[in-house]
Amino acid sequence: MADESPGRPRISRRDLLKTAGAAGAAALIPGAAAAEEASVAGTTAAALPPATVAPSGPLMNLTAREAEILSAMVDRLIPSDDMGPGALEAGALRFIDRMLSEAEADSVSAYRSGLAALDHYSRYSRGAPFVELSGRDKDSVLIDVQLGGATGAGAGFQGSSGSFFNMVKSHTWQGTFGDPSYGGNVNFIGWDILGYPGVRMRVSAEDQRLMEAGQLPPARRSAYEYGQFQMSGEED
Amino acid sequence: MATQLRSADVVVVGLGAAGGVAVQPLAAAGLDVVGLEAGTWLDRRDFAPDEIRNNYRDWPMLVKKTEQERPTSRARSDQTANRIGSHPMMNAVGGTTLHYWAQSWRLNPWDFRVVSETTRRYGASRIPAGSTVEDWPFGYDELEPYYDAVEHEIGVSGQAGNVRGEIDPRGNRFEGARKRAYPMPPLRWTAFNERMADAARGLGWYPFPGPAAINSTAYQGRPGCGYHGFCNKGGCPLDAKNSPHLTTIPRALETGNLRVVTRAHVTTIEVDANGRATGVNYVVGNNEYFQPARVVLLASYTYENVRLLLLSKSRAYPAGLSNNRGQVGRHYFSHHQGAGVGALLPYDIGAWYGLPAQGVAVDDFADDNFDHSDVDFIGGGNLWAMSDRRPISAANMGTYGRSRAWGSEWKRFIRENADRTHSFYIQKTTLPYEDNFLDLDPQVTDPLGLPVIRITGEYKGNERAIAAYTQSKAEEWYRAVGATEITRGGLGGQMGASTHAYGGTRMGDDPETNVVDRWGFSHEAPNVGVLGASVMGTSGARNPTLTSQALAWRTAQHLVDAWSDIAD
Amino acid sequence: MCRASRPAGRCLGCALLIVATASALQAQTPTTFIVDSPTMATGEMMPRDYSPDGRNVSPPLTWRGLPAGTRQLAVICQDHGAGNPPPWVHWIIYNIPGSASGLPEGIPFDSSDPMPAGLAGAAQGNNGWGLSMYRGPAPPGESLHHYHFAVFALDTELDLPPGLTRAELFEAIEGHVIGQGDMTPHYRRHPATDDRTP
Repeated sequence: MADESPGRPRISRRDLLKTAGAAGAAALIPGAAAAEEASVAGTTAAALPPATVAPSGPLMNLTAREAEILSAMVDRLIPSDDMGPGALEAGALRFIDRMLSEAEADSVSAYRSGLAALDHYSRYSRGAPFVELSGRDKDSVLIDVQLGGATGAGAGFQGSSGSFFNMVKSHTWQGTFGDPSYGGNVNFIGWDILGYPGVRMRVSAEDQRLMEAGQLPPARRSAYEYGQFQMSGEED
Repeated sequence: MATQLRSADVVVVGLGAAGGVAVQPLAAAGLDVVGLEAGTWLDRRDFAPDEIRNNYRDWPMLVKKTEQERPTSRARSDQTANRIGSHPMMNAVGGTTLHYWAQSWRLNPWDFRVVSETTRRYGASRIPAGSTVEDWPFGYDELEPYYDAVEHEIGVSGQAGNVRGEIDPRGNRFEGARKRAYPMPPLRWTAFNERMADAARGLGWYPFPGPAAINSTAYQGRPGCGYHGFCNKGGCPLDAKNSPHLTTIPRALETGNLRVVTRAHVTTIEVDANGRATGVNYVVGNNEYFQPARVVLLASYTYENVRLLLLSKSRAYPAGLSNNRGQVGRHYFSHHQGAGVGALLPYDIGAWYGLPAQGVAVDDFADDNFDHSDVDFIGGGNLWAMSDRRPISAANMGTYGRSRAWGSEWKRFIRENADRTHSFYIQKTTLPYEDNFLDLDPQVTDPLGLPVIRITGEYKGNERAIAAYTQSKAEEWYRAVGATEITRGGLGGQMGASTHAYGGTRMGDDPETNVVDRWGFSHEAPNVGVLGASVMGTSGARNPTLTSQALAWRTAQHLVDAWSDIAD
Repeated sequence: MCRASRPAGRCLGCALLIVATASALQAQTPTTFIVDSPTMATGEMMPRDYSPDGRNVSPPLTWRGLPAGTRQLAVICQDHGAGNPPPWVHWIIYNIPGSASGLPEGIPFDSSDPMPAGLAGAAQGNNGWGLSMYRGPAPPGESLHHYHFAVFALDTELDLPPGLTRAELFEAIEGHVIGQGDMTPHYRRHPATDDRTP
């Protein structure tokens, strides 16, 4: 899938490292580029964190700052933990960023204003930027955003803070559990969380029986790897 | 200035479930038919098993006509109607059958005779107050041959329960007698479906597999269902979900007597000074056309059928075509198919590769299949336990108060429970009432400036009582399979725009209370016929599609048989 | 005896008092005990950190003068001026050992974090938002609302599951309440300009 957006400047890796929070860095840095820079830099290679299985490519719509805040939020919605990877590793951020290319203008502004309001609310109520809070404190902020308590706190949410929360949650879910052709569900991380055995065009009675016995191996394919499907309804 | 086209014998407005079926007998009989469809052709290349696109974004439609003319709705006439969020139907050759659940039921005999049967068994006072329900102008036996024809022409899979009076316990013992078995056996059951069926038998009920317009085996050169799991609002990439666009429409085209025009948006029907229809006006983009025809068949779904009649005002019909007696829009109802019951089970149920048409039905509590002497309602509901799950939808399940809806705690919850929820789909007897009707909204218009439909309706005491009763039965069924959490939906309030919309051009012998006659032709404008559930006066406890298709075939066949009476 | 203006929780205590004196045999007469807080007081503004204008942590409570025989305690925080119908529940916490002399600030809201020392076994019920945690005042606009913290002393160690609603809790402790203490601070939202950003 081509991620390049003509006319949009690539964000330099140095800028990403400077601004990305701990959870966000791996998600924003092109894995291949990191390895290449590491080998070129020579002695700095050992100091770099290992490239994770992470989405690559430049941001198409969000600024690095917005992506950082959104990453921090997404990372709390479905965290990476002892059970395994979460929404960030699954590429939910890339999904959302790509989705904004096709979204309507008011969705894009809902993200921009909402992310700014989330950060402002965090400073207003917890006294620190959202990305600098501990995991627990981020959760507490997000609960207040979800329940609408952040509304009216002077943070600048458009309408209820809960609508912003629900929008991000809804898109994070699509980005984590949707077909990987949209940029999310990387390495089928999302489908593995659910125990969903993957897209298959034909499921025989024997396949069904194996699945019921927990013995059906996951089919790790996007819907678009089967047959001659068109990605969208647009024809002429 | 509209382009005048060459006259046709019949113009069919809309090539969805009903219009798409009617064209076959018309074309096969040699009539010159023009089918005007607002949508376009779609095919299996458009139907990827992609949940984001199918269920969270715009379905692949090139024409958004339904969206642009979506109705407003309100519960009662003393309220202002608000625009509904999105239209449940779509425009395409084949219409909404391209992605529907494809459950394909016959009505039961009682549904045709609600008034006389209720009066006979319980007394006329048991007809709910305010209902305008009438017996249909014919019974189940009259429609049986057309059900049979459509089941074989389209391809319906299922298990017969009553063949020529002989009960087969594997099927529905309550169904009306059929001439012969289904053309294909039913879709297979999952282990959980089997478990539900066993539990139902344990409760003394009679479970059976539901019928579906989906190939269970190869049929007519198309493969059997692949059970890929994306059937719910998904098109079929195997052409196993049977729609007129795969079956009756191509056959009609092969006769050479059908011309299909896509992207054709019909606006009004023209009549002459004698009140006979002369053809229809339509637009394709910015171009206007007039399609003259000797007979006009409306098949544009309930809301649009009513709307086209109301918008077609003339000196002969100042209140809208065929509306001199004020019956257009009346006796409307949205099917009471909500008020479901959901459950959390303590084990995986293997629903990932299911489809909404795959499941276990219990008809014991539908229609008059049980003694209503001690309950306060008539009619009932069909309990349908289906097998349907997609990943994003599973991840969006409620947590039954056991977990926050996100975070690590949620991750733990969803890993365990993603394949453990289930819900009942309960279709219930719904009746027409004096208070529930369709008309044109006084303010809201579509992009052409034409008023949209306004729905005025709410579920009444009878429907709500059925809902409460059937919810209790569903709960009993869930307990029998060990559900640990059970939730019930609300009993029903305002009627919104529905995928099962009935009435508005009701069929009946009495021209004072019905728009079309027993054959589906307007009492007032005899060369205008109506196809679709807008002619149905009762809903039964099942969806209207197969019935609307059988009625459409019958209306078309009658038109062929009585051509000179109707067309001249 | 039971003033109409008293919140429902209070009336429960009164009702029990009436019942208790009516049946002379085994019932104890519920007593009133003192509920206090190092950071809040009845009739005064709650600190912003107990609301979404701040860190939204549960406030500290202390109590003394518990009736003899207190085995366990339950606490509820409710706004009788909100909810349809009122009250709106902000917090329910129960299975509190009778030996506890209060609740520290910041009871964990995530079920995977342990309860503080001395509160082993304590469980939180479902507040008005359906979450098993404290969620503080967020009254609309500039309105002032009152937040009634009620502490119930129970004569039995009930082993209640987490996630109970107010109605379920009240039903479970019915007949076991031997004392009650209350405090009712109030809150109005901080203005938008009252930013904490350093």
